Amino acid sequence: MNEQEREKWYAFEHQKYGIPIEYLKREFEKELSGQVPMDQPLEIPDKMEVIYKYSYGQQSRFFRELRENKKIYGAKCPQCSKVYCPPRAHCSLCYQPTEWVPLTGTGVIKTFTVQYISTSAFIKKVPFVCAYVQLDGTDFLLMANMEVEDVARIRVGTKVKAVFREERQGTITDFYFEPYE
Amino acid sequence: MRKVGIVGMGTTKFKARWVDKTYYELAFDAARMAMEDAGLSRLDIDCAVYGIYNDLFQRQYQPDAFVHDYLGLGLKPMVRVNSGGATGGAALRIGYAEVASGLYDICLVLGVEKCADCYNYEFQSATPEVLRAILYTADMTYDNPAGRTAASGFALAVIAHREKYGNPTDEQMAKVSVKNHFNATKNPIAQSPKVLTVEEVLNSKKIVEPFRFYDNCLYTEGSSAVILASEEVARKISPKPVWITGVGASTDYVIPGNRPNIHTFESSRLAAQKAYGMAGLTHPLEDLDLAELHDAFTGTEIMAYEDCFFCEEGQGGRLIDEGVVMAGGKLPVNLSGGLIGCGHAVGATGIMQTYEVALQLRGEAGERQVENARRGLVQSIGGTLCTWTVCLVLEREG
Repeated sequence: MNEQEREKWYAFEHQKYGIPIEYLKREFEKELSGQVPMDQPLEIPDKMEVIYKYSYGQQSRFFRELRENKKIYGAKCPQCSKVYCPPRAHCSLCYQPTEWVPLTGTGVIKTFTVQYISTSAFIKKVPFVCAYVQLDGTDFLLMANMEVEDVARIRVGTKVKAVFREERQGTITDFYFEPYE
Repeated sequence: MRKVGIVGMGTTKFKARWVDKTYYELAFDAARMAMEDAGLSRLDIDCAVYGIYNDLFQRQYQPDAFVHDYLGLGLKPMVRVNSGGATGGAALRIGYAEVASGLYDICLVLGVEKCADCYNYEFQSATPEVLRAILYTADMTYDNPAGRTAASGFALAVIAHREKYGNPTDEQMAKVSVKNHFNATKNPIAQSPKVLTVEEVLNSKKIVEPFRFYDNCLYTEGSSAVILASEEVARKISPKPVWITGVGASTDYVIPGNRPNIHTFESSRLAAQKAYGMAGLTHPLEDLDLAELHDAFTGTEIMAYEDCFFCEEGQGGRLIDEGVVMAGGKLPVNLSGGLIGCGHAVGATGIMQTYEVALQLRGEAGERQVENARRGLVQSIGGTLCTWTVCLVLEREG
C-alpha cells in the first residue's frame, strides 16, 4: 500500500473500532508497508459489540431505591426469614416470593483481595480491593468494590459502610464501601 | 451402562499464541492425531462433543459448528459443552454418557481454545482484554461491575481458607509453582517449562493478593482430543485402552455469596466423592498413582488436595511441604506441568490433563513416567469460584 492508502486504512480502522491512530500505526506499520511475506499469518483489528436495553425485572425497585433515595434494600423470605442482598424475587430455598426490607448499609468483610492487575475497563484503578461483604441484617454476601486509599487497612472482619456517589445511574456501582470505626 | 475406554488421543503444543492457526485449524491437528493414534478415520466417528469455552475468545458464536464442519464430520451428531474452566472435563463427561448409554459406539471429545486474539492496543497486551472477555462470565448485574477477575475470585476463597486454617502460606504456594513449572520441563507440549526457586516466585510481582505472577495459570492456545469407545469396540481397535471407571460432577451456587462456606469448594468435594464411589476407590492417597488437578492458581491446587480427599480439610499445605505431591512422591500431582506449567487452553485443558493421565497409564510418558502407574485422577474446575467440578478416574487393565 502507498502512503495515501495506508493513511486511509488507519482512518477507517480508527473510525470503525475507536482505536487511536498512533496505536494502529505502531501495530500495523510493518504489515501495511508490504514488508511481510505473502504466506505469513495476517492479523487485523476487530471488535464484537451489541447495545442493549435490559430490564431488572422484579429487582427493579432495588436499583430505583439506590438511584432515587440512596437506600439499600434486601429481599426477605417470609417463610425462612433469610434476607438476600443482592436481592431476588424468590427465595431459592423455599420458592416463596420475597418481601423488600430496608438495610442500614453497614456490614462486615468476610473475605477480600487486592487487585494489582485487572480488566481493560478497570486497569487504571489498580490497586483496588474487591471483597465479599455481609451486610448487617442479611444472610448472604455481596460482592463489593471498595474505595480505600490504603489497601493494607483491609482485613477479614473489617466493618464497612456504604457510601453513595453524587451521580447515580441505577447500577450496583452507585455505591461503594468504606471502612468505619 | 457400558464400560467406556479411551482408544485414541492427541494434543497440539500448548502455546501463548498460535498466530499461524485458527481455532478450527488447531482442532483439526488434535483430531487428526487422535484418529491416527486410534487407527480410525473420520468415517468411523459416530458423534462428537466439543469443549469450547468463550465465544469472545474465538470471535465466533457457535464455534463448535465450524470445528465440526472443518473435521469433515458434517451429518453426524455433535454437541458443545461450556462449563468455564471445567469445560474439558465436562465435555468428557458428556462423551462418556454418549457411549456408556449405548447411543453411540465411538465418540470424539475435543477441546480447543484461542484466547490471545483478544488484544488491547493501548497496553500492547492481550491480558486486560482477555480478562475482560472472561469477566462477562461473572454475574453481569452485581459482580461484573465490581471489576473482579477470575484470579480475584479464587483469591477470595484462598484468603478465606487461610483465615480459617492458616494455610496455604505464601511459601507453600510458591512450592507448588516451582513444582509445576519444573514438571513442565519434562513435557514437550508445555508452554512454560522453567526451573524456578521459591525465592524467585516470592519475588515476582503481585497480581492479586495473595497471588504473585508465578502463582497464576497461563493464557494458552491449543487443542486436545480423545476418542472414546464402548468396551466391545475398544477391545477390537486398541491394544491398550484406558478405562474411565469413575465420573463425578457437581455444581455449586454460581453466586458465591449464597454459599454456606467460601473457604472450601463444595462442588469439588462432591464430584470427587462421586467419582471415587463409582470407581470403588476408598483411600485416594493409597489407591491413586497420579493426579492431574486444576491448578488455575497455586493456592487452589493446595485446596484441591483437600477437596479430592488426599488429606483432611485444612491440611493441604502439608502435602506440598512433605513432598507427597512431587514427582517421585507418594501421589504426584500435575506431572504435565498443569495449568501453571503446561498451560490453560480453557476448553482443551481438562482433555490435555486426561491425555496426560492416559499417557502415563499406557506407560508412554517418557521422562516424566510414573513407574507402573495403574490409576489416575483428573479434576476439572471452572466458573465463578469453582461453580463446576468434574472428576474422572482413569485405569489401565492388569
